[in-house]
Formats: sequence, structure tokens, C-alpha cells
Amino acid sequence: MMRTILFSALLIIGVAQANAAEATMKTDPTAFINHFSQVSIDDILNANIDTVEKTARFRTVFNDSFDIPAISRFVLGRAWRRASDSEKQDFLAVFEDVIVYTWSRRFKQYTGQTIKVLGTSPDGDTGTLVNSVIIDLAGQTISVQWRLRQRGEGLRIVDIIIEGISMVITYRQDYTSVIRQNGGIQGLLTELRKQAAETLPSKAP
Amino acid sequence: MTVSINSPSLLKLGIVSAFTMFALGACASKPPATDTEAFRAYEQNNDPLEPWNRSMMQIDQGLDTVFFNPVISVYQTVVPKPGRRGVSNAIRNFRTPITLVNDILQGEGSRAGTTLRRFLINSTVGLFGLFDIAQHWGLPYHSEDLGQTLAVWGVGEGPYLYFPILGPSSGRDITGYAVDNIGIDIMSWVGRADNPLWWQVVYFGGLAVDIKGNAKPALEELKASSIDYYATLRSAYRQNRAKEIRNSAPAPLPGLDDFYDDDGDGDPFSSLETEKASVQTAALPK
Repeated sequence: MMRTILFSALLIIGVAQANAAEATMKTDPTAFINHFSQVSIDDILNANIDTVEKTARFRTVFNDSFDIPAISRFVLGRAWRRASDSEKQDFLAVFEDVIVYTWSRRFKQYTGQTIKVLGTSPDGDTGTLVNSVIIDLAGQTISVQWRLRQRGEGLRIVDIIIEGISMVITYRQDYTSVIRQNGGIQGLLTELRKQAAETLPSKAP
Repeated sequence: MTVSINSPSLLKLGIVSAFTMFALGACASKPPATDTEAFRAYEQNNDPLEPWNRSMMQIDQGLDTVFFNPVISVYQTVVPKPGRRGVSNAIRNFRTPITLVNDILQGEGSRAGTTLRRFLINSTVGLFGLFDIAQHWGLPYHSEDLGQTLAVWGVGEGPYLYFPILGPSSGRDITGYAVDNIGIDIMSWVGRADNPLWWQVVYFGGLAVDIKGNAKPALEELKASSIDYYATLRSAYRQNRAKEIRNSAPAPLPGLDDFYDDDGDGDPFSSLETEKASVQTAALPK
């Protein structure tokens, strides 16, 4: 009996701590990035699973950590305004595929790098810019900044800036050029679908 | 080969200006100012020589395929990674004058001090620059060049330019590059009086192999993740230069186009729901 009470008490404390950690992660930018990098390293990069499973796990993490609609609107810019609802849906789906597959191709190149948060500063309306470095085993560092925004369900990443190069600005200028040359958003969607099909990870190493 | 006008560096500069002249004949057609959207995109790209630049990129990629990539792959097979890092360190070290002069020209006293101390430490303890010891002593590397100095002095970027071997540049950056490499880089002076062509070829060729080899993984990644690699590289080059000019100060919010900001909070990354709600509210008759 005593044992059951003790066990339940421990369980309650454990759950409470997990909830507190989760609550911190929802609003504390440093905790959020630390959690994001820990999950990416432990559950994806270092996990003993094949690339297809890693990709599936990354897709979940990506969906839970990034505000994909806000990113998509920024990336398409003017074209987002003009796009029909179905074109927007098509873009959201294929853009997610392209990013997930692009990142999954990098999984194999992982050689023990870690992320260290250096500090934060306010950014935009309800946001934070998190300054961090990726450190490799030889001690070389790469500067990475994360733009975060507070949403109802928690913090969300809207941009990653690597050595000054913003992911969303670079995609935007790439896609704007494709839209201009290939006659509109349908041309871009065709190209993106092609890219997604080519980069689809297979079980083969 | 005793007349200094025959110097390969000057020759290179001559080729560069000849390229530029030819390029003027290959301008992208400027959209009429009445077509505001297309006109704004044109202004933003600041790439009036785009068709010319695109063909220069093709030539560069061709040179990579037939010459630089095979050389790089042999080099990477023969010399293991620590050796190659030593070579890159040494090259950085003997090109210190470029960074030092430009630190001073930008009035960056403490950065100039760092550059000088790094040079003294790495040239001695670091065995002629092969080892970047200073980095572990709290003196991390930074680079400066005349292109950055001109930017700090308020000189505009000028049009985007792409050169075979050198890669992406701009009117301002190529000017700075020429002065840095012909005037300030002591290695390019070696034997200049006697004009041994082989030294200039070996030196600048070796430099290109080192730089291209180091940049290769990142550029391949950029290429694989893009659709229009030319437009992507142009964007990435400009953003990276902007960061170097800011000396790594935090990135500013991406420039706003008025219509991204329906809720008027000055933030292009508001949630779609917020923006949508504000559009609907704005549409309601008062």
C-alpha cells in the first residue's frame, strides 16, 4: 500500500516536471532551441534507424516547430496574394516535402556537431532572435540565428539564418525568379514537384 | 617579359574590364517604370547584366568540370584533411596584410590589433601559419577586404557581376578585389619585377583550388536545394556579404513589402490567422 502511494507520488512529481518543462519550452526561446536540437540529434541524427524513418520523424518535428504557412506566405510574396486557395494548399504540401527531403539528405553528413545558444534579442512583433553557433568536433563554428514567433500552441521557427544567409529570403529569391521565368505559380509548382520526386529518400543507403 | 605592363595581374584586370565592356552589350531588358511590380523586382535584383552573368556562370561551371573539380579531387585524395586545413591556414596567414590594411581603413582599431596579434602568433608558434593557434587563444579569424571597406565608406554595391573562376561579385567588390590582390597582397608581388608568369599562375591557381575546394560542399548543398541556382547564389552571396560588412551584427528583419503586413505590426512573420483577421476587419464597413 505504502509502496503504491509512494509510486503514485513519484509519478505525479514526474508528470508535473514534464509539464513544467513543456510549458517552459512553449515560451522560453532558449529552452525551445535546446529542445529542438536535442530532439534532432538524439531522436533523428544519432538514432539507429534508416533514412526513411529519420525523414518521417523529421517531418513531424518540422511540422511541430516551424510556422510553415507564415514562411510560405513570405517565400511566395506577391504570388501568395494572387494564388487561389488550392494553389496555396498545393504549395504548402510540396514546399514541406522539398524542405524535409533537403534536410534528410544532410543526415548522412552529420559528424557530431552540437548547437550552443549564445543569447537572444527581441525581434519583430511577438518574436525573438536566438543567436547560436554550430560547433563541430574540430572546434570550428558556424553562426546560426533563429527567428522565433509566439503562437497560441507555442513558439514557432519562421527563419533560420546561417552565416548571414536567411533561408526564407534565399528561397524567396529563387522562387520569384522561377515564377517570373516559368509563367506563374503553376510553373513553380511543377518544378517543385519534380524536385521533391528527385530527392525522395529511399531505403537504399 | 620585363615590362611591368605585361604583369599577369594587370592582364587579368584587363580581361575583367574587357568582360565588362562586352557585358554592356548583353543587358537584361529593363521593364517600363509603369509596370511597377516588374520594375521593382528589376531594381531589387540589381542585375542589369543578368543574361551575360548567367553565361559567365556556365563558363565557370564548365571550368570546374574540366579543370578545378578533377584537380580538387586529386588534391583531396593526396593530402588528408588536416594537411589541407594547414594549407588554408597558411594562405590566410600570408594574406593577413589585406585584412589588416582594411581593418585600419575602416577605423576598426581593436580588430586590427587582433589581426596583427594573430599574425605574430601564427607565424611563430603556429609554424609559418600552418596552425591557427591564435584561434584557441581567444583571437578568432575574421576577414576584411576593400569591397567591405568601400561599403563601410558608403560606396554603393553597383551591379551584380559573375566572373569565371572568381564567382559572384559586384561592381564594388571586384574593384576592391583587384586592388587587394594586385596592390596589398604581398604574395602577388613576389618576383613581379621579373614577371615570372608561372608564379602568378601557380599562386592564383593554388588560391582558386583552396577557395573552391573549401566552398564546394556548401555550394553543392545550395545547388541541390534550389531550382534556379543562379538566382539562389546571387541572393546568398549578397546576404553573406551584408553580414561581413556588418561584422556579424544581428541580421535585420527582412525588408517589408507593404502588403505582407496587413495587421500593421511591422513584422512580415505574423501568423496567417492574425493577418487574415485584420484583412477581414479592414474590409468591414465602418
